[in-house]
Amino acid sequence: MSAFWYYVFTLVFFLFDYFILAMGLNIQYGETGILNFAYIGFVAVGAYITGVTGMPSSAGTGQQYILGWGLPFPINLILGGLTASALALVVALIALRRLRTDYLAVVLISLSLVLYDVINNYVPLFNGADGLYNVPEPLAGFFKLTTNSFVPFFAMLTGVVAVIMWWVMSRITKAPLGRTLRAIRDDDGVAATLGKSVFRYKLTSMLIGSFYAGVGGGLIIQFGGSFNPTAWLPGETFVVFAVILVGGVGNNIGLLVGALLVETLLIHLPAFLPSIPGHPGLIEYIDTMVVGVLLMVMLWFRPQGVVPERIRRSPFTLAKRSGQTLDDRAVVVPVAPVEITTAVGQETTNG
Amino acid sequence: MTLFWLSVGFGFVTASVLAISAVGLSLQFGITNYINFAYGDFMALGAYFTYVLNAEFFHLNIWIALVFGSLLMGILAVLLNQFLLSPFARRFSKSFYVMIVTFGLSLIILNVIYSIWGPNVRNYTMPLEHVLHIGPFLLTRDQLIVMAAAVLMMLGVHLMLKTTRLGKSMRAMSDNTTLAMTSGIDTRRITTVTWFLSGTMAGIAGSVLGIAEGNLTPAAGELFLFVIFAAVIVGGVGSIYGAMAGAVLIGMATEVSAAFINPAWKLDVAFVILIITLLVRPTGLFSRPGKG
Repeated sequence: MSAFWYYVFTLVFFLFDYFILAMGLNIQYGETGILNFAYIGFVAVGAYITGVTGMPSSAGTGQQYILGWGLPFPINLILGGLTASALALVVALIALRRLRTDYLAVVLISLSLVLYDVINNYVPLFNGADGLYNVPEPLAGFFKLTTNSFVPFFAMLTGVVAVIMWWVMSRITKAPLGRTLRAIRDDDGVAATLGKSVFRYKLTSMLIGSFYAGVGGGLIIQFGGSFNPTAWLPGETFVVFAVILVGGVGNNIGLLVGALLVETLLIHLPAFLPSIPGHPGLIEYIDTMVVGVLLMVMLWFRPQGVVPERIRRSPFTLAKRSGQTLDDRAVVVPVAPVEITTAVGQETTNG
Repeated sequence: MTLFWLSVGFGFVTASVLAISAVGLSLQFGITNYINFAYGDFMALGAYFTYVLNAEFFHLNIWIALVFGSLLMGILAVLLNQFLLSPFARRFSKSFYVMIVTFGLSLIILNVIYSIWGPNVRNYTMPLEHVLHIGPFLLTRDQLIVMAAAVLMMLGVHLMLKTTRLGKSMRAMSDNTTLAMTSGIDTRRITTVTWFLSGTMAGIAGSVLGIAEGNLTPAAGELFLFVIFAAVIVGGVGSIYGAMAGAVLIGMATEVSAAFINPAWKLDVAFVILIITLLVRPTGLFSRPGKG
């Protein structure tokens, strides 16, 4: 396989993977309004746990890490996602109940720095600053894949995982759960007065989102075969935010567009550009600045993103538009079990 | 025991840097009601401005360079507010948007610093100092100046808030912006002045951090920002005096613990204190109604 296709499939992999990551952050930020600035920390925890549960015991590998259970592929990935959710549970129990959005953001950003600090410094956990490497390629033995055929295979496998997770997520966002989350995002006071336990819904949203983060991280370590702290500097969270804000907050298809525009075209494509002689890293620095500027420009001129959140009218509004009277409406459109409407007579939904 | 007193001395230095930066952050937060996640990078940029004046051009004395570097940062903060943050804050009522903009601004500033000065460690040009023995403490003259400056600035902020018209307007705005506006306070002007103060204090804190640590790195401010957050939350969000108290507590705790456990865990000590505070007294030591 030529180098060109190798690159293309690498980009395809990151497109699908960031689609998954963006869906996870979107249910937290886009649907529920939790400003999770520690998102990349959950991604990293998922990646490390997927790695160490999939790798054989650390004895004789020259690396130090915990567990080393040597579990087969989908099981370690799911464990990675569940561990990220477990971390979210702890964080939520301590911080989510007590803090207003902006202090929560502060505590979360601190959490991501501390996670980084601990994993970087405490070597026996995940091999410290060197990170994990020689992570076995999943299913390579089963399908008799070579190093070359593994990349397209795994990119496609990630695509399959992404489609499954997209299907689940679109079910969640269409369900009453999704409507309640959006109501909390728009006004948690109103949601609380209507009898919704805001904390429990926020917790649910954190757990689901963190599971997506963990799975996305697990796929990264399985694809690259290695993972170390430079892969998840706290600023990386911003890239995922850029994906969902550019693509369209609260719209799952928009997230795919965002992943294509930001992650694939802006972050990974320039990585293949030759570096400017005498200025190592300059392209990367400029690249990050471009992402930041693009995000601000997008927020100013098109805050709803490239593909905005779709608005579904409630049966009431639809009936009114078709010119029926109040009595007709009561007959023609039985009152749907609308949980909470976000604005006056407006219901939003996702693709 | 000597080690303990030594670390207490360093604790005072760290607390001084923390106090300056935490008060700068709190002032701005109280007025505009959103958190500036780029504050750490404001500190780093101020430190590099000082570095340029001190070591690259002009070769000014470090303290004179610090004053001009910090003022430059203050002016830049005003411009950033005028042309970037304030328009966003006016346009979107939810503070999400501005916070994400400051988060993006933080990345942009960090990468500007990387592009211009590179990732290498830089040093200020400073005369070598004798170490002074003061009681049980071992401190350099520069560290004493840092502490004195911090105490003076805290006093200055206190007097400004309590006695001057500007300070009273700032407190009024911090309590209720709309009410302050209807009472005839020029809120835009106060906001501008606050950003200037906040930026200048960030510049001072960043430069002083560089002096205290003996080196400059682009990411130093960002790591320190977290310690500032810990100090601000432990002290009580929105309370200037709480920020001062939190700074002393966190500064002492991180430095004294470094004498007994691996200094690599400094950050985590601050984080543990933060978590305990959240569990026991989530509003912080000196909480203010409506801000927590």
